[in-house]
Amino acid sequence: MYRLKDYAKEINRCIQCNFCLEHCPVYIEDGLESSVARGRLNLIQALLLEKTLILSDRAGVLLNRCLLCTNCTQGCPSGIPVDDIVITARVELQKNYGLGRGKSFLLRQVVNRSNTTNIATKALSLARRLNMVPEEFPEVVSPSFEQRVPSIVKPEGEIRGKVGYFIGCATNYLYPEIGDAVIKVLTALGYEVVIPANQHCCGIPALAHGELGAAQEAVRWNADLFSKLDVDAVITDCTSCGYMLKVKAAKTLENNDPCQSKVASVAEKVVEITEFVTREGLGHNFKLILGKSKDLERMDVTYHVPCHRAWSPNLIQAPRKLISMLPAVSLAEMNEPQRCCGAGGSFFVDHKDLAESILDRKLKNIQSTGAEAVMTQCPACRYYLRGGLEKKMPVFHPLELLAKAIHLV
Amino acid sequence: MPGLIRDLEALLDPRRVFSQPEDLLAYMNDATHKRVMPAVVVQPVTSAEISRVLSYANTHRIPVVPRGAGTGLAGGATPGTESIVIDLKGLRQVIEVDKQNLTATVECGVVTQKFHTLVESMGLFYPPDPQSMLVCTMGGNVATRAGGPRGVKYGTTKDYVLGVKAVLPDGEIISYGGKSVKMSSGYDLARLLTGSEGTLGIISNVTVKLLTLPAYRQTMVAVFAELEAAAEAVSAIIAAGAVPSSLELLTKSSLETIEAFMPLGLPKDAEAFLLIELDGHEEKVKEETQQIRAICQKKGVTETKIARDASEAERMWLARRVLFPATARRAPNILIEDATVNRTQVPAMVRAIKRIAKLNHLVIGVSGHVGDGNLHPGILTDRSDPELMRRAEKAMGEIAKEALNLGGTLSGEHGIGYLKAPFLEWEFQSAGVNLMRRIKHAFDPNGIMNPGKIWVDGGETHV
Repeated sequence: MYRLKDYAKEINRCIQCNFCLEHCPVYIEDGLESSVARGRLNLIQALLLEKTLILSDRAGVLLNRCLLCTNCTQGCPSGIPVDDIVITARVELQKNYGLGRGKSFLLRQVVNRSNTTNIATKALSLARRLNMVPEEFPEVVSPSFEQRVPSIVKPEGEIRGKVGYFIGCATNYLYPEIGDAVIKVLTALGYEVVIPANQHCCGIPALAHGELGAAQEAVRWNADLFSKLDVDAVITDCTSCGYMLKVKAAKTLENNDPCQSKVASVAEKVVEITEFVTREGLGHNFKLILGKSKDLERMDVTYHVPCHRAWSPNLIQAPRKLISMLPAVSLAEMNEPQRCCGAGGSFFVDHKDLAESILDRKLKNIQSTGAEAVMTQCPACRYYLRGGLEKKMPVFHPLELLAKAIHLV
Repeated sequence: MPGLIRDLEALLDPRRVFSQPEDLLAYMNDATHKRVMPAVVVQPVTSAEISRVLSYANTHRIPVVPRGAGTGLAGGATPGTESIVIDLKGLRQVIEVDKQNLTATVECGVVTQKFHTLVESMGLFYPPDPQSMLVCTMGGNVATRAGGPRGVKYGTTKDYVLGVKAVLPDGEIISYGGKSVKMSSGYDLARLLTGSEGTLGIISNVTVKLLTLPAYRQTMVAVFAELEAAAEAVSAIIAAGAVPSSLELLTKSSLETIEAFMPLGLPKDAEAFLLIELDGHEEKVKEETQQIRAICQKKGVTETKIARDASEAERMWLARRVLFPATARRAPNILIEDATVNRTQVPAMVRAIKRIAKLNHLVIGVSGHVGDGNLHPGILTDRSDPELMRRAEKAMGEIAKEALNLGGTLSGEHGIGYLKAPFLEWEFQSAGVNLMRRIKHAFDPNGIMNPGKIWVDGGETHV
């Protein structure tokens, strides 16, 4: 549960080695130790546990200047869940000081998308007025992906399994082409795809802003929806939705909350799509399909690894494996493929300059590969990289490439 | 000091002067447990800026604490109250790598691992490899004489410093040494500043000696049922002239800690697990590997294994590398000792550490660079438990005393900082420490440079 007392012990476990200096994209830009996990943990401890400091604007700034990218956690010798602790601090701040009604309202609207695209469009225009999205942000698609796909898509021929598909907000409103690719690839592999209606946002944007109530609402709703399905796996095409469903959802609720068992049963089944299609056992069938396909045009692709990757062990190798199966496509690895791009969900909106300097580093790494395209499984990275690359280079989900390779799109 | 911040903002880019408590909190400690809030943190980016800050602090008698990555294990970068912390990570230019003369000149804030990567990409080699090299700085390494596993063959940072540029407390900038490998001119100020832990001045640039990158590496492990047999093997290996580039010891307690964290199938009944790496010309390395295996067999080894390829070597090293995270998960604070003895005294030292742990009801893991007698007892503790903390510090004193009794030294590669300052007189007696005080006074008559480190007034406080 995102409550400070639950994390007091975790904060105290920090052995102060400062290895996080190497991993923090914010520190790499500003060179300030108060931007690093160790500094933040010490700040949270002083501010909210020992109460030796009172909340100030500066404290707010420091707590909000975290991308929640989890790079520090992944490199932490003590394995401290720094992002959870920062989220908890934000929940605490939000409870006591508020985000402002506009943002709160908006985050709640984003969570509940059971109505129509109309609401999303309105929410987007509100978001524009609140400066929560940048000027150049794309219009939402209408109808949304969810509204135009059937609730069950069956494969031609023999059904080898049944999977649920969790549609993230980005696929639903901004990049429905990812959704099309996912459904086509899954059915081509012989899977029946079940897409329950009225899915909600996974809740991670609300959580990142410390809006625990809205996140809980999302978690309960989706757990209810997906635990009812009789499916072998719950597929996600978004690494952050996956992180939320697999790891964070349970933490939003009390341990004894009756919904926990549903949350757990869904979490157990969540699989990231590229990992799913490259899994052992699927491989054979998959190769057959690829074998039937005509080759794509020769192309070099580079891979930007999403930050929310640690929840699924093979998520970062799966796209690489995929590329290795496509004879015409080569992988041109960039330097520091795992370094954050600066998007951080919607971090780049509130921290424009900082995010842009993080992005610049990433763009240099991308450009020096000489690749013709970038792939990544995170829609926020996709949006932000695409902007940074000024449309000179396409950015897509690995599944889109795959769908193209097997001539499904 | 109401004018302090304003004055510093006039001396430096004001955006690199930090005085809000929320920022200062991040600079209250290094990797040790004492936390003291400084008055201000400044981030100079040139030696001229360092000079302006020092000269100001000297005029106003304000204590100054230089800081690299804040990873020190002896507390050398722990601020004093009302002090100015000078964060030196902004001086991060590699000024030159000279392939012909095998030297490199870097600014003090260059990260050690980045420097390794750079010189290795040019076929060169800079051996010092402290555990924290992912983030620690070259300047910090010089100021503490940092070392690592490769010390057994290659020595520590002190063995690579050819020259330094340093800012003295009055703002004067001195240079001593450079690319000449030979130098017999005047007092060796570079050596004096090396290991001075920020008490004499601030090292802004360093010129270090480089080697050529060894062409071949071989890793092997040797498992012993008895510690003494392992120690005898270690001495025999080195006496035979087959000096490994690393010779690491994991004792039973460390093996258990590692297995609990990450099951690697390490031997259960072994008292000593030696991890040995050799480097150099392929033929010679291969020959020495066989020689070492034969020595180990003569000393009663229960198992030896030679890595067949890089991935097997990597798996062998994994045990050593996860020791730190594995230990980190066992306690919120770990006092990592680095008392060092002659390699023949290692078994006696290990036994003493076990006895001290038992006596003080503490968990102390023992591992270390056995080839050079540099052990790292890790005392598990928790700074929120004062009674436990007191026992841990007492044990630290006892370990230090034991190392000295065995003819060793207080510190092999971490420095003295504040943690071991109370013990310094045990090693050098009052005459030795008094001379050090006089040297400091000559550099720093107003005592502004990192006061309270290396020695304390009043001598022994523990044991």
